[in-house]
Amino acid sequence: MSMQKSWSELQTMHRACTLVVGALDVLEEAAVPGITTEELDRLAFAFFKKNAAKPAFLGYRGYPATLCVSINDEVVHGIPSPKRRLKDGDIVGFDLGCSIHGLFGDSARTVAVGKVSDQALRLMETTKAALYAGIEACHPGRRVGDIGHAVQTLAEGRGYSVVREFVGHGIGTSLHEDPQVPNYGPAGKGKRLVPGMTLAIEPMVNAGGPEVRVLDDEWTAVTVDGSLSAHFELSVAITEHGPWILSEPYPYAREAAHA
Amino acid sequence: MPEAAAGQAREVMEVDGIVREALPNALYRVELLTEKRGTATAHAGGSSGLLRLRPGDEVVVELMPYDMTRGRIVRRRS
Repeated sequence: MSMQKSWSELQTMHRACTLVVGALDVLEEAAVPGITTEELDRLAFAFFKKNAAKPAFLGYRGYPATLCVSINDEVVHGIPSPKRRLKDGDIVGFDLGCSIHGLFGDSARTVAVGKVSDQALRLMETTKAALYAGIEACHPGRRVGDIGHAVQTLAEGRGYSVVREFVGHGIGTSLHEDPQVPNYGPAGKGKRLVPGMTLAIEPMVNAGGPEVRVLDDEWTAVTVDGSLSAHFELSVAITEHGPWILSEPYPYAREAAHA
Repeated sequence: MPEAAAGQAREVMEVDGIVREALPNALYRVELLTEKRGTATAHAGGSSGLLRLRPGDEVVVELMPYDMTRGRIVRRRS
Protein backbone atom coordinates (compact mmCIF):
# COMPACT_ATOMS: atom_id res chain seq x y z
CA MET A 1 0.00 0.00 0.00
CA SER A 2 1.30 3.31 -0.98
CA MET A 3 1.54 5.70 1.90
CA GLN A 4 1.70 8.76 -0.32
CA LYS A 5 -1.58 10.41 -1.18
CA SER A 6 -2.33 12.26 -4.39
CA TRP A 7 -3.42 15.86 -4.39
CA SER A 8 -7.04 14.89 -5.02
CA GLU A 9 -6.95 12.34 -2.20
CA LEU A 10 -5.60 15.03 0.10
CA GLN A 11 -8.48 17.30 -0.95
CA THR A 12 -10.98 14.63 0.09
CA MET A 13 -9.17 14.03 3.37
CA HIS A 14 -9.21 17.79 3.91
CA ARG A 15 -13.02 17.69 3.63
CA ALA A 16 -13.28 14.72 5.99
CA CYS A 17 -10.99 16.37 8.56
CA THR A 18 -12.86 19.66 8.30
CA LEU A 19 -16.11 17.83 9.07
CA VAL A 20 -14.56 16.07 12.05
CA VAL A 21 -13.40 19.37 13.50
CA GLY A 22 -16.84 20.87 12.76
CA ALA A 23 -18.42 18.05 14.74
CA LEU A 24 -15.95 18.62 17.58
CA ASP A 25 -17.02 22.30 17.64
CA VAL A 26 -20.64 21.17 18.02
CA LEU A 27 -19.69 18.82 20.86
CA GLU A 28 -17.60 21.43 22.64
CA GLU A 29 -20.62 23.76 22.56
CA ALA A 30 -22.86 20.98 23.90
CA ALA A 31 -20.52 19.89 26.69
CA VAL A 32 -22.40 21.39 29.62
CA PRO A 33 -23.06 19.81 33.02
CA GLY A 34 -25.93 17.31 32.94
CA ILE A 35 -25.76 16.12 29.34
CA THR A 36 -25.24 12.38 28.92
CA THR A 37 -22.38 11.08 26.83
CA GLU A 38 -24.87 9.15 24.72
CA GLU A 39 -26.62 12.39 23.76
CA LEU A 40 -23.26 13.73 22.65
CA ASP A 41 -22.71 10.60 20.58
CA ARG A 42 -26.06 11.16 18.87
CA LEU A 43 -25.09 14.75 18.08
CA ALA A 44 -21.90 13.53 16.43
CA PHE A 45 -23.73 10.85 14.46
CA ALA A 46 -26.36 13.33 13.27
CA PHE A 47 -23.68 15.80 12.21
CA PHE A 48 -21.92 13.22 10.05
CA LYS A 49 -25.20 11.99 8.63
CA LYS A 50 -26.27 15.51 7.69
CA ASN A 51 -22.95 16.02 5.89
CA ALA A 52 -22.99 12.67 4.11
CA ALA A 53 -19.91 11.42 5.90
CA LYS A 54 -19.57 7.94 7.35
CA PRO A 55 -18.66 7.64 11.04
CA ALA A 56 -15.25 5.97 11.10
CA PHE A 57 -15.31 4.49 14.60
CA LEU A 58 -18.78 2.90 14.50
CA GLY A 59 -18.08 -0.78 14.02
CA TYR A 60 -14.32 -0.31 13.83
CA ARG A 61 -12.97 -3.48 15.46
CA GLY A 62 -16.41 -3.75 17.05
CA TYR A 63 -16.45 -0.27 18.59
CA PRO A 64 -20.13 0.48 19.28
CA ALA A 65 -20.38 4.25 18.82
CA THR A 66 -19.55 7.26 16.64
CA LEU A 67 -17.76 9.12 19.41
CA CYS A 68 -15.08 8.26 21.95
CA VAL A 69 -15.71 10.30 25.08
CA SER A 70 -13.14 10.03 27.86
CA ILE A 71 -13.75 11.86 31.12
CA ASN A 72 -11.05 12.92 33.63
CA ASP A 73 -8.86 9.85 34.37
CA GLU A 74 -10.15 8.11 31.25
CA VAL A 75 -7.41 8.41 28.65
CA VAL A 76 -9.08 7.35 25.39
CA HIS A 77 -11.76 5.08 23.90
CA GLY A 78 -14.49 5.89 26.44
CA ILE A 79 -17.80 4.46 25.22
CA PRO A 80 -20.81 6.81 25.31
CA SER A 81 -23.48 5.79 27.81
CA PRO A 82 -26.99 7.01 28.69
CA LYS A 83 -26.03 6.72 32.36
CA ARG A 84 -22.96 8.91 32.23
CA ARG A 85 -23.53 12.64 32.69
CA LEU A 86 -20.98 15.42 32.44
CA LYS A 87 -20.36 17.28 35.69
CA ASP A 88 -19.09 20.75 36.40
CA GLY A 89 -15.30 20.54 36.70
CA ASP A 90 -14.85 17.53 34.39
CA ILE A 91 -12.39 17.52 31.55
CA VAL A 92 -13.74 15.56 28.61
CA GLY A 93 -11.81 14.17 25.67
CA PHE A 94 -13.78 13.93 22.43
CA ASP A 95 -12.31 11.76 19.69
CA LEU A 96 -14.03 11.50 16.31
CA GLY A 97 -13.37 10.20 12.84
CA CYS A 98 -15.29 10.02 9.59
CA SER A 99 -14.75 8.97 6.00
CA ILE A 100 -15.77 10.49 2.68
CA HIS A 101 -15.41 8.36 -0.45
CA GLY A 102 -13.32 5.94 1.56
CA LEU A 103 -10.83 8.53 2.79
CA PHE A 104 -10.57 9.19 6.49
CA GLY A 105 -10.19 12.09 8.89
CA ASP A 106 -9.49 11.70 12.61
CA SER A 107 -9.23 14.33 15.30
CA ALA A 108 -9.64 14.78 19.04
CA ARG A 109 -9.63 17.46 21.67
CA THR A 110 -10.15 17.72 25.41
CA VAL A 111 -12.51 20.38 26.70
CA ALA A 112 -13.48 21.76 30.11
CA VAL A 113 -17.01 21.35 31.46
CA GLY A 114 -17.96 24.44 33.47
CA LYS A 115 -15.20 25.61 35.77
CA VAL A 116 -12.18 23.30 36.06
CA SER A 117 -9.07 23.41 38.23
CA ASP A 118 -5.93 25.27 37.18
CA GLN A 119 -4.06 21.96 37.10
CA ALA A 120 -6.56 20.59 34.60
CA LEU A 121 -6.26 23.69 32.41
CA ARG A 122 -2.49 23.45 32.45
CA LEU A 123 -2.61 19.76 31.51
CA MET A 124 -4.91 20.51 28.57
CA GLU A 125 -2.76 23.43 27.39
CA THR A 126 0.36 21.29 27.61
CA THR A 127 -1.18 18.43 25.65
CA LYS A 128 -2.29 20.80 22.91
CA ALA A 129 1.13 22.42 22.84
CA ALA A 130 2.70 18.95 22.60
CA LEU A 131 0.50 18.17 19.60
CA TYR A 132 1.65 21.32 17.83
CA ALA A 133 5.26 20.59 18.74
CA GLY A 134 4.82 17.21 17.04
CA ILE A 135 3.26 18.81 13.97
CA GLU A 136 6.17 21.24 13.75
CA ALA A 137 8.45 18.23 13.25
CA CYS A 138 6.50 17.15 10.14
CA HIS A 139 8.92 18.19 7.46
CA PRO A 140 10.02 15.95 4.62
CA GLY A 141 13.35 14.29 5.31
CA ARG A 142 12.78 14.14 9.05
CA ARG A 143 11.66 10.94 10.70
CA VAL A 144 8.69 9.60 12.60
CA GLY A 145 10.80 9.50 15.77
CA ASP A 146 11.30 13.27 15.55
CA ILE A 147 7.56 13.73 16.07
CA GLY A 148 7.45 11.54 19.18
CA HIS A 149 10.60 13.13 20.52
CA ALA A 150 9.13 16.64 20.18
CA VAL A 151 5.89 15.58 21.91
CA GLN A 152 7.66 13.78 24.73
CA THR A 153 10.19 16.55 25.34
CA LEU A 154 7.50 19.17 25.69
CA ALA A 155 5.14 17.14 27.88
CA GLU A 156 7.79 15.71 30.20
CA GLY A 157 9.49 19.12 30.37
CA ARG A 158 6.37 20.36 32.16
CA GLY A 159 6.32 17.44 34.58
CA TYR A 160 3.76 15.23 32.84
CA SER A 161 4.02 11.80 31.28
CA VAL A 162 3.03 10.46 27.87
CA VAL A 163 1.06 7.26 27.30
CA ARG A 164 3.00 4.42 25.64
CA GLU A 165 0.33 1.78 25.03
CA PHE A 166 -1.54 3.85 22.46
CA VAL A 167 0.02 5.65 19.54
CA GLY A 168 -0.78 7.89 16.60
CA HIS A 169 -0.94 6.34 13.17
CA GLY A 170 -0.94 6.79 9.45
CA ILE A 171 -4.36 7.61 8.05
CA GLY A 172 -5.86 7.64 4.58
CA THR A 173 -7.78 4.85 2.89
CA SER A 174 -8.28 3.30 6.31
CA LEU A 175 -8.54 4.74 9.80
CA HIS A 176 -5.28 3.19 10.90
CA GLU A 177 -2.38 2.73 8.48
CA ASP A 178 1.35 2.38 8.76
CA PRO A 179 3.41 3.86 10.21
CA GLN A 180 2.63 3.98 13.90
CA VAL A 181 3.46 7.36 15.42
CA PRO A 182 4.42 6.98 19.09
CA ASN A 183 4.40 10.03 21.35
CA TYR A 184 7.82 9.21 22.71
CA GLY A 185 11.17 7.90 21.61
CA PRO A 186 14.48 9.02 20.19
CA ALA A 187 14.76 11.68 17.50
CA GLY A 188 16.21 10.67 14.14
CA LYS A 189 14.79 7.13 14.23
CA GLY A 190 11.90 5.53 12.41
CA LYS A 191 10.48 5.91 8.96
CA ARG A 192 11.49 8.94 6.93
CA LEU A 193 8.76 11.50 6.30
CA VAL A 194 8.01 12.09 2.62
CA PRO A 195 5.57 14.47 0.90
CA GLY A 196 2.10 12.96 0.56
CA MET A 197 2.26 11.00 3.81
CA THR A 198 -0.69 11.57 6.11
CA LEU A 199 -0.43 11.03 9.85
CA ALA A 200 -2.77 11.30 12.79
CA ILE A 201 -0.68 12.76 15.59
CA GLU A 202 -2.27 12.38 18.98
CA PRO A 203 -0.49 12.92 22.26
CA MET A 204 -2.19 11.43 25.33
CA VAL A 205 -0.70 13.14 28.36
CA ASN A 206 -1.22 12.09 31.99
CA ALA A 207 -0.86 14.35 35.01
CA GLY A 208 0.62 11.41 36.96
CA GLY A 209 2.42 8.32 35.73
CA PRO A 210 2.26 7.03 32.14
CA GLU A 211 0.67 3.66 32.99
CA VAL A 212 -2.80 2.92 31.67
CA ARG A 213 -5.11 -0.05 31.86
CA VAL A 214 -8.14 -1.06 29.83
CA LEU A 215 -11.45 -1.62 31.64
CA ASP A 216 -13.64 -4.72 31.31
CA ASP A 217 -15.58 -3.14 28.45
CA GLU A 218 -12.38 -3.85 26.45
CA TRP A 219 -12.18 -0.26 25.23
CA THR A 220 -12.03 2.41 27.91
CA ALA A 221 -8.43 3.13 28.88
CA VAL A 222 -7.86 4.79 32.26
CA THR A 223 -4.76 5.95 34.12
CA VAL A 224 -3.58 3.36 36.63
CA ASP A 225 -2.95 6.00 39.31
CA GLY A 226 -6.28 7.75 38.70
CA SER A 227 -4.63 10.98 37.56
CA LEU A 228 -6.18 13.27 34.95
CA SER A 229 -5.42 12.63 31.30
CA ALA A 230 -5.82 14.83 28.22
CA HIS A 231 -5.79 13.98 24.51
CA PHE A 232 -5.48 16.17 21.42
CA GLU A 233 -5.27 14.90 17.86
CA LEU A 234 -5.07 16.31 14.34
CA SER A 235 -4.59 14.64 10.97
CA VAL A 236 -1.62 16.12 9.15
CA ALA A 237 -0.25 15.77 5.63
CA ILE A 238 3.46 16.08 4.95
CA THR A 239 3.98 18.46 2.03
CA GLU A 240 7.25 19.49 0.48
CA HIS A 241 6.92 22.80 2.34
CA GLY A 242 6.11 21.25 5.70
CA PRO A 243 3.01 20.18 7.60
CA TRP A 244 -0.55 20.75 6.39
CA ILE A 245 -3.10 20.37 9.18
CA LEU A 246 -5.79 18.77 7.08
CA SER A 247 -8.69 20.38 8.91
CA GLU A 248 -7.36 23.80 7.91
CA PRO A 249 -6.98 25.42 4.48
CA TYR A 250 -3.86 24.53 2.54
CA PRO A 251 -1.32 26.90 4.11
CA TYR A 252 1.23 27.26 1.32
CA ALA A 253 1.24 28.94 -2.09
CA ARG A 254 -1.29 27.29 -4.38
CA GLU A 255 0.90 26.62 -7.40
CA ALA A 256 3.34 24.75 -5.20
CA ALA A 257 0.54 22.40 -4.25
CA HIS A 258 0.64 20.57 -7.55
CA ALA A 259 4.38 20.04 -7.61
CA MET B 1 -8.68 7.32 17.68
CA PRO B 2 -5.31 6.07 18.86
CA GLU B 3 -4.11 2.68 17.74
CA ALA B 4 -2.89 0.09 20.22
CA ALA B 5 0.89 0.13 20.09
CA ALA B 6 2.38 -2.60 17.88
CA GLY B 7 2.44 -6.06 19.36
CA GLN B 8 -0.74 -5.50 21.32
CA ALA B 9 -3.28 -5.31 18.51
CA ARG B 10 -6.33 -7.52 18.89
CA GLU B 11 -6.48 -10.07 16.11
CA VAL B 12 -10.15 -10.91 16.04
CA MET B 13 -13.06 -8.52 15.67
CA GLU B 14 -16.76 -9.20 16.02
CA VAL B 15 -19.24 -7.65 13.63
CA ASP B 16 -23.02 -7.81 13.51
CA GLY B 17 -24.69 -9.15 10.40
CA ILE B 18 -27.84 -10.59 8.90
CA VAL B 19 -28.03 -13.97 7.16
CA ARG B 20 -29.04 -13.44 3.53
CA GLU B 21 -28.63 -16.84 1.96
CA ALA B 22 -27.98 -20.38 3.10
CA LEU B 23 -25.29 -22.12 1.06
CA PRO B 24 -24.27 -25.80 1.11
CA ASN B 25 -21.96 -27.18 3.79
CA ALA B 26 -23.14 -24.93 6.63
CA LEU B 27 -22.00 -21.84 4.80
CA TYR B 28 -24.09 -18.71 4.83
CA ARG B 29 -23.90 -15.48 2.98
CA VAL B 30 -24.12 -12.79 5.64
CA GLU B 31 -24.61 -9.10 5.09
CA LEU B 32 -22.43 -7.22 7.54
CA LEU B 33 -23.94 -4.12 9.08
CA THR B 34 -20.73 -2.33 9.79
CA GLU B 35 -18.22 -3.10 7.08
CA LYS B 36 -17.73 -1.41 3.74
CA ARG B 37 -17.92 -4.67 1.88
CA GLY B 38 -21.49 -5.79 1.78
CA THR B 39 -21.22 -9.49 2.36
CA ALA B 40 -19.15 -12.14 3.98
CA THR B 41 -19.33 -15.85 3.59
CA ALA B 42 -19.47 -17.24 7.05
CA HIS B 43 -19.13 -20.77 8.27
CA ALA B 44 -21.25 -21.79 11.20
CA GLY B 45 -19.03 -23.90 13.39
CA GLY B 46 -19.56 -25.18 16.89
CA SER B 47 -22.83 -25.29 18.71
CA SER B 48 -25.99 -26.82 17.33
CA GLY B 49 -28.25 -23.77 17.46
CA LEU B 50 -26.34 -22.33 14.58
CA LEU B 51 -27.15 -25.22 12.26
CA ARG B 52 -30.64 -23.99 11.64
CA LEU B 53 -29.95 -20.44 10.57
CA ARG B 54 -32.32 -18.97 8.03
CA PRO B 55 -32.21 -15.86 5.90
CA GLY B 56 -33.13 -12.89 8.07
CA ASP B 57 -31.48 -14.24 11.24
CA GLU B 58 -29.29 -11.72 13.03
CA VAL B 59 -25.88 -13.08 13.93
CA VAL B 60 -22.48 -12.04 15.21
CA VAL B 61 -19.58 -12.81 12.88
CA GLU B 62 -15.97 -13.06 13.93
CA LEU B 63 -13.51 -11.63 11.39
CA MET B 64 -9.75 -11.72 11.07
CA PRO B 65 -8.02 -8.71 9.52
CA TYR B 66 -6.40 -10.89 6.85
CA ASP B 67 -9.61 -11.56 4.96
CA MET B 68 -12.58 -9.40 5.85
CA THR B 69 -14.87 -11.21 3.42
CA ARG B 70 -14.89 -14.50 5.31
CA GLY B 71 -15.66 -15.06 8.92
CA ARG B 72 -17.11 -17.39 11.50
CA ILE B 73 -20.60 -17.07 12.86
CA VAL B 74 -20.10 -17.20 16.60
CA ARG B 75 -23.61 -16.68 17.93
CA ARG B 76 -27.11 -15.65 17.17
CA ARG B 77 -27.99 -12.08 18.12
CA SER B 78 -31.09 -12.03 20.26
